[in-house]
Amino acid sequence: MFNSNFSRRNFIGLTAGAAGAAALAACGSSGPSDKGGSDSGSKSGSASYWSLSGEPGEPIRQAAIDRFNKANADTKITPTFFQNDAYKQKIKTAIGAGQAPTLIWGWGGGGLKSYVDANQVVDLTDWLGQNAAVKDKILPSSFGAGTVNGKVYALPVETVQPIVLYYNKKVFDKVGVQPPQSYSDILALIPKFNAKGIAPFSLAGQSRWTNMMWLEFMLDRQAGSEVFDNVFAGKAGSWSDPQVLEMLTKVQDLVKGNAFIKGFSSITADSNADQALLYTGKAAMMVHGSWSYGIQKADGGSFVKDGGLGWMNFPPIDGGKGDPSNTVGNPGQYLSISSKASAADQETAKKFFSTTLVDDDEKAGWVKSGGVPVLKNSDSLFTGDDAQFLKDMSTIASGAKTFAQSWDQALSPTAAETLLDNIAKLFQLQVTPQQWVDNMNGVIGK
Amino acid sequence: MTTLAPPAVRVQEPTTAKSGRSGSVVWMAIPALLMFIAFGIIPLLGVIALSFTTWDGIGDIHPSGLTSWTAALKDPGLPHAIWVTFEIMILSWLVQTPISIMIGVFLAATKKYRGFLAVLYFVPLLLSSAAISITYKALLDPNFGLGAGFGVEWLKQDWLGDSTLAMGVLIFVVSWQYIPFHSLIYQGAVRQIPTSMYEASMIDGAGRIRQFFSITLPQIKYTIITSSTLMVVGSLTFFDLIYVLTGGGPGDSTRALALEMYQKGFMANLMGPASCIAVILVLSGVVLAQLLRRLGGRGDESMQEGV
Amino acid sequence: MATVTVSGKPAPSRRRSPLGRLLRLNWFGGALGWVWLFIVMIPIYWIIITSFKTQANYFITNTFAPPSDPTLANYKEVIENEIVRYFLNSVMVTVGAIVPAVLISFMAAYAIIRGIGNRFLRYTNSLFLMGLAIPLQAVIIPVYLIIIRLKLYDTLLAIVLPSIAFAIPLSVLVLSNFIRDVPKELFESMRMDGATEWGTLWRLAFPLTRPALVTVTIYNALGIWNGFLLPLVLTQSPDQRTIPLALVFFQGQFGVNTPAIAASVTLTTIPIVLLYAIGRRQLLSGLTAGFGK
Repeated sequence: MFNSNFSRRNFIGLTAGAAGAAALAACGSSGPSDKGGSDSGSKSGSASYWSLSGEPGEPIRQAAIDRFNKANADTKITPTFFQNDAYKQKIKTAIGAGQAPTLIWGWGGGGLKSYVDANQVVDLTDWLGQNAAVKDKILPSSFGAGTVNGKVYALPVETVQPIVLYYNKKVFDKVGVQPPQSYSDILALIPKFNAKGIAPFSLAGQSRWTNMMWLEFMLDRQAGSEVFDNVFAGKAGSWSDPQVLEMLTKVQDLVKGNAFIKGFSSITADSNADQALLYTGKAAMMVHGSWSYGIQKADGGSFVKDGGLGWMNFPPIDGGKGDPSNTVGNPGQYLSISSKASAADQETAKKFFSTTLVDDDEKAGWVKSGGVPVLKNSDSLFTGDDAQFLKDMSTIASGAKTFAQSWDQALSPTAAETLLDNIAKLFQLQVTPQQWVDNMNGVIGK
Repeated sequence: MTTLAPPAVRVQEPTTAKSGRSGSVVWMAIPALLMFIAFGIIPLLGVIALSFTTWDGIGDIHPSGLTSWTAALKDPGLPHAIWVTFEIMILSWLVQTPISIMIGVFLAATKKYRGFLAVLYFVPLLLSSAAISITYKALLDPNFGLGAGFGVEWLKQDWLGDSTLAMGVLIFVVSWQYIPFHSLIYQGAVRQIPTSMYEASMIDGAGRIRQFFSITLPQIKYTIITSSTLMVVGSLTFFDLIYVLTGGGPGDSTRALALEMYQKGFMANLMGPASCIAVILVLSGVVLAQLLRRLGGRGDESMQEGV
Repeated sequence: MATVTVSGKPAPSRRRSPLGRLLRLNWFGGALGWVWLFIVMIPIYWIIITSFKTQANYFITNTFAPPSDPTLANYKEVIENEIVRYFLNSVMVTVGAIVPAVLISFMAAYAIIRGIGNRFLRYTNSLFLMGLAIPLQAVIIPVYLIIIRLKLYDTLLAIVLPSIAFAIPLSVLVLSNFIRDVPKELFESMRMDGATEWGTLWRLAFPLTRPALVTVTIYNALGIWNGFLLPLVLTQSPDQRTIPLALVFFQGQFGVNTPAIAASVTLTTIPIVLLYAIGRRQLLSGLTAGFGK
């Protein structure tokens, strides 16, 4: 804002310096990474790596690091895994305090941009130019969310996760109806299911991002992908499109028409209750990420194995502008390198990128977990029970004209928070479509 | 023990406070003071400094005068959050205090099951907010929770999706966790009331209800103050429970100050305005603590202390 | 927890029966007590039965039905995940923070009351009062920086030190309110007997303040025991994990392993409840002996 930027270092000095004699004794900048195993100097480079804990990702991440450490005796990557929400808080505190790990795991998009704006992450564009072999192994559509201002700051890793419309085939058979081919089919199905006491759609409305998945599809199918592209690009007033109002009205009509299960705002996604509603037949359909397949398979007894679960890309809205092949979701997960890490540590991280993360074991590991890897040529690995699902996800992901990143990841944290807040209010009918548009226009580009 | 300090006899004259003597006790405050300065005051100064800056929590910090304060004070979310905080504070006090006193009185009088009850009452206090939230979210699920479990249709409400119900649920869970603790405090206080007072009033022909209001309540006055202090001050910094239970929702119906600050600072990356909210929180705490001291009839001494 | 209350005091049981007779017919309070017990027990019952269900069984069986096919797998998983170590870490952090916190708060409270009129102590007290509402979330980044400068990051001490600091304001407030009510004559007579302030502190004020000490000890210990933010931000390696932190690690990337969390909650709560059941008499006699005057 003004030229007199007083740097974070000064702030650190201000707080820690005053902490008294004991604190002053330790002036050398020493971070958590010391403990993490980067006793720099003696070794040729060791990187700390923070990521998410839990199934299915953690064991595969750990295996990759073990492979790398085994193959590179002189270097070492030390992982630490955190639970999702805990990770978000932890990584923000660490980066804010200038204590980031060497390898920063993330979702790309707006979060990544805030790191880039603060010069916290390394520009990988040139490196990828020199290592075209690495770049060529990864799906091109996954690079978008790792790119800021035309430069790549994060390597796409792990899996592509499109969001799809799941349905319970048994329930459809019982009611004697066919899966929807269009939005009007959906509208026609709603009263039929309600009449039988089955909720048309399961929705975990307490976890706001679940409602957001609906808006993402509705906006795309109704108004096309340009509206959000404009929002993303920060063009003022981008939400003020009559198609947006139309879409928002449709969403509120769905709420009013009991399309979503009664009391959906009390259901949380983190307990997987929304998915349980589908596989127990209390709800007929659900919009959810591709990862839900694995959860339903694990928790739903024989539901998935017996062919009870159906899936499809979200159907088109009659008269809507969007390309029906478009999808939304996570085009990948992303790894960045901290610009605060030493040169040797950065080299280690890059070596990790160019070897382990693009090898066949990595690909096989993610396929086995029920995911579609961001690495090309995975289709041949799709075998067994899950082959059809994986193939369909791969087709949706690679066949999409636009693979839009989830809004809350794509936007800046400031805008994403307002977005989620307003989406929740929209589904609560606490704001009108027009108020929603006004509120959201207010944070464009922030 | 009791007889050493009967409630009626409170010597208020601070005549013994001679400056010459107080010198010998000053050092006793030093350890606490140093600890608190190192990990409480210095970070707080940092936050006050941050409230005059613009910072996204990640990049450089830009001093920006009153920009953050203007933004924070203009935000309609702030008065709303203050109102929600106030609402939670009052409602949770109103629910917890009478129930705690009643149960405390009951526990003090029961001989048979007291040990058993006291142990069971203690359990909710030991659960972390993660455990509580997972439990209650599961129980409040309209399809798999309480309603389905008991087969009672009335319990299948949109508990966390309706503004009023969500606030009710929050107050209930807070009470669920803390009423047992306050009951135990009151139990202790009631058992300490001299029996002779009850015997005397019996002779005067007082009924139980009158005894409760004319003996029990006045005698536990200071316990009520202490217990209320814990409740009220505690409710200011309620964060974990709201965060995991309702996330401030539905919409912003349960978004109290501490949560508003967290969402501004750590989720929306607006550390400047978030710091302003933090400063407001601290100031509210000071005012409340003062108020409670005066309510306790200790204003006279507080005045002399100048606090 | 129990350390503060080891000195045995005769419980004032002599009063129980007349008072009991007077209050026994307090059926309203009684009904409330039992109803509330029921309310308290529902979630606890749910946690226990859920801990014996499998993840797949969890949504299929009735919420309150005992598991159709009880399993110990969750307990096995939890124990294999080193819950015992996390439990011990939590114990060390809680005891390590609460004992010094209560002792130095007590000393400070004593000084503030005995030194009324002293300007320095007055300011000190004001400072503590201000601390009552400092939200931990707000100051976490500066605290983090200080801990790193002290080279304490990723140690249990990193959690202990700020926990002590944040326990001080409330402890001082409650304790000083209590010490203030000790009759001045008692201090006077101690002085006549030639006792120093230090001696008076321990021999007179400490026993008289015991109920308040018990209260602040329990209250703060529960806060530290269940603290999440400090362990999350100030530690990193699994070796230093505390219970609340360990619990969230049973939440995966996309969902919660509810039965596993229920099992770890059950497992880690049982020792504390047992400890409380054993030490209850001692603990409560502290409260019972005359909590708030």
